[in-house]
Amino acid sequence: MAVTLPEPVRVSPLIKTCRWTALGLGIWWGTKRYAALKAEEDEIRAYNAKMKPIWDAEKAAKAAASNREQMIYLAKESGTPIPEGF
Amino acid sequence: LNRKMALNLIAKAPGNLIRFTQPRLATFGRYAKVELTPPMPNELGQVIKSSAKLLQSTLTFKWATCTVGEAAVNAIIVAEIAGWFFIGECIGKGSVVGYQV
Repeated sequence: MAVTLPEPVRVSPLIKTCRWTALGLGIWWGTKRYAALKAEEDEIRAYNAKMKPIWDAEKAAKAAASNREQMIYLAKESGTPIPEGF
Repeated sequence: LNRKMALNLIAKAPGNLIRFTQPRLATFGRYAKVELTPPMPNELGQVIKSSAKLLQSTLTFKWATCTVGEAAVNAIIVAEIAGWFFIGECIGKGSVVGYQV
């Protein structure tokens, strides 16, 4: 490498303070937003976990009802007798 | 023979890495010590003076008389400082792209 590199620039102290304060502010802002968003997401996750059994039960009940209606319809169309209490 | 070459490469890797990075790290350190260091306490007087000068120039509308070249340089400096803020935010949130909640 025969290239001569230039001399380092003397950066103004105002710019240096602005840079490092911006870095510090960024780190603080990042941690603050992360904490807030994590709290929200944890709430949503907890709510979903709580409701999952209820929703699963509702879906299963609806599926069983529609299944029953379809079987009755098929039985009527195909002429098979429907057992008692179905 | 390929196996021998591969083993030789792996064995020499740390030495080659050091030999490659050390001069470059040295030049980086040379520039960083002058350009990147945080402001020392003895420079704070200059900081206050420069910020007072900036404030004065905004109030007296002297900033409208600067050349477009100067304005462009200042715009790039502001963009660089904004970049440092975003790097800090990435460090704070612990991820590069998004908040991994």
